[in-house]
Amino acid sequence: MSVVWLRVAVVAYSLGLLHVLLTVLYKRRERTFRVALGAFYTGMILQAVSIVEHIASIQRFPANDFFESVSLCAFFIALIFLIVYWRYEYESLAVFIFPLVFVLALVGSLGAPVGPWSNMQLRDAWLLVHIALVMVGYAALLLTAATSLMYLVRERDLKRKKAGSGFSRMPPLNTLDELMSNALSIGFVFITLAVVAGSTWASIEAGKHWIRDPRIVISLATWGLYLVIVFMRQTQGWRGRKAALMVIALVGCSAVTWAAHTGLRNLLSK
Amino acid sequence: MRLLITGLNHKTAPVEVRERMAYDPASLGPALNDLRARGVSEGIILSTCNRVEIAVASEDGCDARPAVDRFLSESRKVRLDDIAAHLYHHEDEQAIRHLFRVASSLDSMMVGEPQILGQIKAAYASAKAFGTVGGFLEMVLMRAFGVAKRVRSETGIGESAVSVSYAAVELAREIFGTLDGKSVMIVGAGKMSELAARHLHNSGVTGIRVTNRTAERAREMAALFDGTIVEYDRFIDTLPEIDIVIASSAAPHYLLNKSQMRRVIEARRNRPVFLIDIAVPRNIDPAVNELDNVFLYDIDDLQRVVERNVGERNKRAEQAERIVAEEVERMVARIKAREIAPTIVSLQDQLEQLRLAEIARVRGKLGELTPKQEEAIEALTRGIINKVAHGHISEMRRLAGQPEGIEIVDAIRRVFRLED
Repeated sequence: MSVVWLRVAVVAYSLGLLHVLLTVLYKRRERTFRVALGAFYTGMILQAVSIVEHIASIQRFPANDFFESVSLCAFFIALIFLIVYWRYEYESLAVFIFPLVFVLALVGSLGAPVGPWSNMQLRDAWLLVHIALVMVGYAALLLTAATSLMYLVRERDLKRKKAGSGFSRMPPLNTLDELMSNALSIGFVFITLAVVAGSTWASIEAGKHWIRDPRIVISLATWGLYLVIVFMRQTQGWRGRKAALMVIALVGCSAVTWAAHTGLRNLLSK
Repeated sequence: MRLLITGLNHKTAPVEVRERMAYDPASLGPALNDLRARGVSEGIILSTCNRVEIAVASEDGCDARPAVDRFLSESRKVRLDDIAAHLYHHEDEQAIRHLFRVASSLDSMMVGEPQILGQIKAAYASAKAFGTVGGFLEMVLMRAFGVAKRVRSETGIGESAVSVSYAAVELAREIFGTLDGKSVMIVGAGKMSELAARHLHNSGVTGIRVTNRTAERAREMAALFDGTIVEYDRFIDTLPEIDIVIASSAAPHYLLNKSQMRRVIEARRNRPVFLIDIAVPRNIDPAVNELDNVFLYDIDDLQRVVERNVGERNKRAEQAERIVAEEVERMVARIKAREIAPTIVSLQDQLEQLRLAEIARVRGKLGELTPKQEEAIEALTRGIINKVAHGHISEMRRLAGQPEGIEIVDAIRRVFRLED
């Protein structure tokens, strides 16, 4: 029964994620924060219920396997965020915490799969949706990386006083930075959705062992890095050279993730 | 038709002479009419601060030079002897080359500057309005506009900034893209910073703040750009809102150091900032440039940008000269071909008359002919004429573009007894 509460909690947390995706896409503090925070509270209460119930049923501290630990971890992170938020009004930390708590809780809830595939067409369609989301995400990421490279070249020219001729055919620095930021945001939205789709698919496919798959681990790690970059950019005003370098590092990680996933199409049933 | 350009410019005449020779817009109309009355077919007057030029077209065999010289001296009320040393005369092909070079801004004080083309267009417009141009000169002028456009787009000669203040604007554009709505702070209200601010203001910058040790001067400058005044001792507090800083204060020490700037850029959440330090001694610690998203240019940096751009312009000017040479050649060939056209037409006419006369002569002897036979005779005679004439005509067209062409064309006219 406890896992049901946890799943409902994940749904509540997903509103927080939605709020963050909107914030990242539209680059302003969304009015949805109040709603998202309410959902976040609800999610926490539900998760607390789930944990208490779980403890009651197993009569032990619920950190026996990876999934239990992750779920617990998500709960504590959420708790710490609330304390920080109440104490310091650090609202923009939510950009980092909401997606993180959501994904951790999601992973925690996927320890016990809902059930086997009811039909193979749904399984394939699901996988294709995951692949399509990743592709769009990667396309945006590649655009970000190309823009970042241009940015670095242009920035170096300006710093070394080699600019000002008017002969340059490259866009202005600010335009490149904006393009970088937009492409990064769009990429983040798609990759996040892809991670959600991919994780749930893998858990149904492989049961309890899905999380041990190195492909999953590496994807989640890459997504984590992505989240950090988006968060730094959104809240710390990371831009320009630093952001460009980070994005290029991110593309490196994504390339590894990509390499790990070649052959995914072979899993399609036809 | 013959073309003559008489004029003087910044290379041949000092400003005292140029200002005496200049025509203001009001005097242009009467002057054009006066010029026309002196026996030229067409005329146009170009008067700018760097040059006064008169282009006239006249009939073959008529030397317009003395008439134009007299016109210049009389209309400007100067003795011809006083200006003769400053005047240059270009005729025909030379005149076309000169016109093309002037229009393409290759003869300008700053090669590639864009105003001259507009000035020539204005001169053309007023000549057109007074009816002193139409036909030959107009055709050459139209081509000059085309050449100028071609030079501009193919060489990109006018694209770079060749003054310090404009280089600053160009750099700001490379950082920010559009300057609409960007804010500027002027630290130290001097002549140089005013010039840079004016360029920025014209490029769409809105919020201009001025700070100066003496508030009076700050107020004057702020008034020029609808700007606001910032207290001199506390201008750094305002910097986080500012995208572009122009520093030109006479302070003997740095007004802005690296740690101050670090705080500013943090407060700006790393939005880029462009610092222009045109003061000597410098107002901004050069180490500031090491900070990310801060771009600092001092007067030497800007000067170097300008030098590099001037060098680039000169390189492109060579390319432009090649374009002009090619266009002059094409124009001359076109004019010659135009001159030979009447000869070709009269040759064709004469041969046609001959043909018709011959047909009329023998037609009676042939008796009844079917329409088909009639047609055949037409085709036969026409074919002979065309075959005979074709070689001559293409040879005449070819020769027209060459120096000895006129004599050969004359010879052909005599051979065929062509009347003018």
